[in-house]
Amino acid sequence: MSVRNTKHRWGALSQLFHWLIVVLIIVQVTLASLADDLPASARKVALLARHKSVGITILMLVILRLLWRSLNLTPLLPDTLKPYERFLARFTHAALYVLLFAMPLSGWMMSSARGFPVSWFGFFTLPDLVAKNKSLYAALLTTHETLAWVLGAVVTLHVAAALKHHFMHRDDVLRRMLPFTTPGPKA
Amino acid sequence: MTLRSSADAAGAAAATVLTAALLLCSDARAADAAAATHYVLDPAKSSLEFTFVQAGAQNKGRFTRFQVAFEFAAESLAASRLDVTVDINSVDSGDEERDETLRGGDLFAVAKFPQAHFAASQINRTASGYEAVGKLTIRGVTHDARVPFAFRTATENGVAVGYMTGKTSVRRLDYGVGQGDWRATDQVGNDVGVSFALRLTAH
Repeated sequence: MSVRNTKHRWGALSQLFHWLIVVLIIVQVTLASLADDLPASARKVALLARHKSVGITILMLVILRLLWRSLNLTPLLPDTLKPYERFLARFTHAALYVLLFAMPLSGWMMSSARGFPVSWFGFFTLPDLVAKNKSLYAALLTTHETLAWVLGAVVTLHVAAALKHHFMHRDDVLRRMLPFTTPGPKA
Repeated sequence: MTLRSSADAAGAAAATVLTAALLLCSDARAADAAAATHYVLDPAKSSLEFTFVQAGAQNKGRFTRFQVAFEFAAESLAASRLDVTVDINSVDSGDEERDETLRGGDLFAVAKFPQAHFAASQINRTASGYEAVGKLTIRGVTHDARVPFAFRTATENGVAVGYMTGKTSVRRLDYGVGQGDWRATDQVGNDVGVSFALRLTAH
């Protein structure tokens, strides 16, 4: 597997970005739901601090990922796709990228509006995106939570489509994003 | 005989001078003590702020209610003293939910310890100004504390005023501010910066 993408396969770096972000999103959901159940406590502060740091990490990774994508070929969608499937695939991928920006940005703005500066793992403090504002904080909290559910829905669609390609179409759409596999038509 | 009486006279004179000198000295001390100016706080133009690290970032807060009594004579520091009482309930960290947490039993425990108190009966001159040496009590725990400050006086509209500014730091855990899991310092730092800018009026 080459580092760069080919017409038929995602390269190592694209795969690394993809799966790293998958893992970090799982971490994010876990941290957020653990913190949600807690009363004000040092543990809650710690969980939310990690949640913010990981969120900023995802934001940085998505920026790098899009840069890398712009410098690489994008593997072609299979010829067998109907036009609406083609559209749906493009739309889902675009929505995922938009959400990968919107989630951390709304979270960061929300923290700024609350008056809590965001630090990246204690290494540096990010600038406040908006001035402190209670009603804006409330609106952003709702936005952040709603976007999380939307992300959940789009990810479900994305996973369902990947599995449909693999098990029903029996094509290499899933395998070309997996390491240690040989892309090409399934035997 | 003559010699002896002149010696006696000299002795008596010396005793008189010594007594007079001692009297003068104690008069001077009394005068100095009386000359110490009594200052009270102008709350509208004074601030008492604190900074702390939360989740890796610097955060700020303040106390909006506190009293200050300051007896000060630059020429007689022995007669100078400083007394500060802080109403912990007036804590304002910029977030109501956080303020409630700060007032709670694991942190300031205001229900039991509504006030913090700094009483300094010794004021020293330092290279850059003064320092107040005394006892600081927070959450019922008392430790020795030294608070450096600068002080300048002015006359504003015929009123003698004093401006006192300074900063110091307090280790919150020394005073038990942080029980249970708040004892951990990885998310909420132990060092809390305290800074003050007070306007005092002479009475």
